[in-house]
Amino acid sequence: MITLKNIEKVYQTKTIETVALHNVNLHIPKGEFVSVMGPSGCGKSTLLNIMGLLDEPTNGIVEIDGLPISRYKDKELAHIRNQKLGFVFQSYHLINDLSVLDNVELPLLYRTGVSAAETRRLALTALEKVGLSARTKHYPTQLSGGQRQRVAIARALIGQPEIILADEPTGNLDSVMGEEIMNILLNLNRHDGTTIVMVTHDENMAQKTERLIRFFDGQQVSDAKTTAFDYQKV
Amino acid sequence: MIRHLFKLIWNRKRSNFLLITEIFFCFLVLFAVLSLIVYNVRNYNKPLGFEHENVWLLSMRPDTDSTALNRQTLEQIMQRAKGFQEIESMALTNSNAPFAFSQMNNQLSYGEKMIMANEYLVQDDFDKVMRMQVSHGRWFGQQDNASHHYPIVINRAMQQQLFEGEDPLGKLLHRNDSSNYQVVGVVEHYRPSSEYTAEEPGFFNRIQLPRDEKDFYGELLIKVKPGMGVEFEEKMVKELSGIGKGWTMEVTTLEKMRQNKAKVAKVPMIALTIICVFLILNVALGLFGVLWYNISRRNSEIGLRRAVGAASSQVYRQFIGEVLVLATFGLVLGVAFAIQFPLLQVFEVESTVYLIALGIAIGLIYLLAIGCAFYPSRQAAAIHPAMALHEE
Repeated sequence: MITLKNIEKVYQTKTIETVALHNVNLHIPKGEFVSVMGPSGCGKSTLLNIMGLLDEPTNGIVEIDGLPISRYKDKELAHIRNQKLGFVFQSYHLINDLSVLDNVELPLLYRTGVSAAETRRLALTALEKVGLSARTKHYPTQLSGGQRQRVAIARALIGQPEIILADEPTGNLDSVMGEEIMNILLNLNRHDGTTIVMVTHDENMAQKTERLIRFFDGQQVSDAKTTAFDYQKV
Repeated sequence: MIRHLFKLIWNRKRSNFLLITEIFFCFLVLFAVLSLIVYNVRNYNKPLGFEHENVWLLSMRPDTDSTALNRQTLEQIMQRAKGFQEIESMALTNSNAPFAFSQMNNQLSYGEKMIMANEYLVQDDFDKVMRMQVSHGRWFGQQDNASHHYPIVINRAMQQQLFEGEDPLGKLLHRNDSSNYQVVGVVEHYRPSSEYTAEEPGFFNRIQLPRDEKDFYGELLIKVKPGMGVEFEEKMVKELSGIGKGWTMEVTTLEKMRQNKAKVAKVPMIALTIICVFLILNVALGLFGVLWYNISRRNSEIGLRRAVGAASSQVYRQFIGEVLVLATFGLVLGVAFAIQFPLLQVFEVESTVYLIALGIAIGLIYLLAIGCAFYPSRQAAAIHPAMALHEE
């Protein structure tokens, strides 16, 4: 599903050169739930941005569904993001001036051929999946952190992406809320077969996923199946 | 997407209120100034109905109150003036000569209809001096000496208001003092006030010196041959002053008078345009500043939109679109107000003038909005999505 070959990312200013990622090689097959761990500044988010086609590697090849994306232009990359990828962020990134329903509908605004009625139906289905069908007319500021993150997940789901990239989705939540969000992600992976890559600082959350990759100073230091590896997929 | 933009702007109406108000007032000022400009330009492009080139106006002020004596001197002066080979033709007129600052009007009636029209007292040769074109009927002359009525030539504007589809020739018009006027001709246009003034109903009344014994006319319009200048002016005034001893004589060209009249129309137009430009500049800077600030405040939203599938060109179009929607809100309010002007025909100005001004003002406001949004929107489109999301 996602393949990274010899990925290197260097941030360069006039005076300083910072290596964010060095020689990263990864293959994430379809339907896998992978967590990425490591200390702050080790390159986890950079990795996620490169996987999410939000950033370009300095060197190396990124393949999504076997297609090398380096030759694609901005418009085509945006199309791939819209069709294949869903994003969940630590700080939710909801638009406060739009209702819950309008926030969830956002990705489909950039997809051609989807009618307003169909968009509305898909948004309601996505909100039902995350248990927020009663909050469609609310605004993000009227919701708790957990509810906001559920809206963000519904927004990531509406386009029925094959891959969800979650950057510390439970980072701003207490343990109960975090647990709720984690369960939603686990359900998505188990029931819908969605491939999920999650960056986290929480060892417990990471252990609930299928595979754990650890990073340190921009380098991949371990890649192993977790104890939850043998959980039963439905 | 358009629905989404309207929803977004509507939901942000409180923060956008000042901007919408600013656009509303900017539109109103622009509409007012453009109405004035369109009105003036449209008038400027209409024919005056006469030719003022090589026409001089000799203003004579006698030094006595004796009309009989003054009339005698005036006739001598005119006799001498006719002797100048440099003069093609001339005609006496009253003080409302073309481009003069005075006006004279009278109320005339025809049947049930009444009209307030400008009256121009002129001698028979006025049509030759001013190259007037009579489109229907004829100019008055010697053949009218025996007439029991005052022969008049009316302009088309007067004909339309008083006679509508009827042929005006031979029709009698009445004045309060029970004088009767008979229409002998019609001229298409006559706009002596200024090039920027709309045509008003008017008629030419005949100066017949032997009949109008008690009147004195001190304005003489002189059509000189091309190329006549100061030298001839000095010579003519010197000789004529010799006849009218003690009289004050002043010569000016109609071209100078036209320029003076044009200044009167242009000065307020230019002043208002300058004020309007400053206002627009102010609004443009405000709009630009607010947009710039908004974009820096909305980095996270831009990052998010890029992440969910917006190409940079779509982000660019979105920001341009938002400004256009904002302008539309301001314009809807402005147009609702401005449309009353053509509907109610305020200031008796043609509806077309207001509608043209309205159209141009709408176009300019949209252009202004796009102009102000252009650079900030480009900046928004250039924001790197990963950086924008990271900033949050």
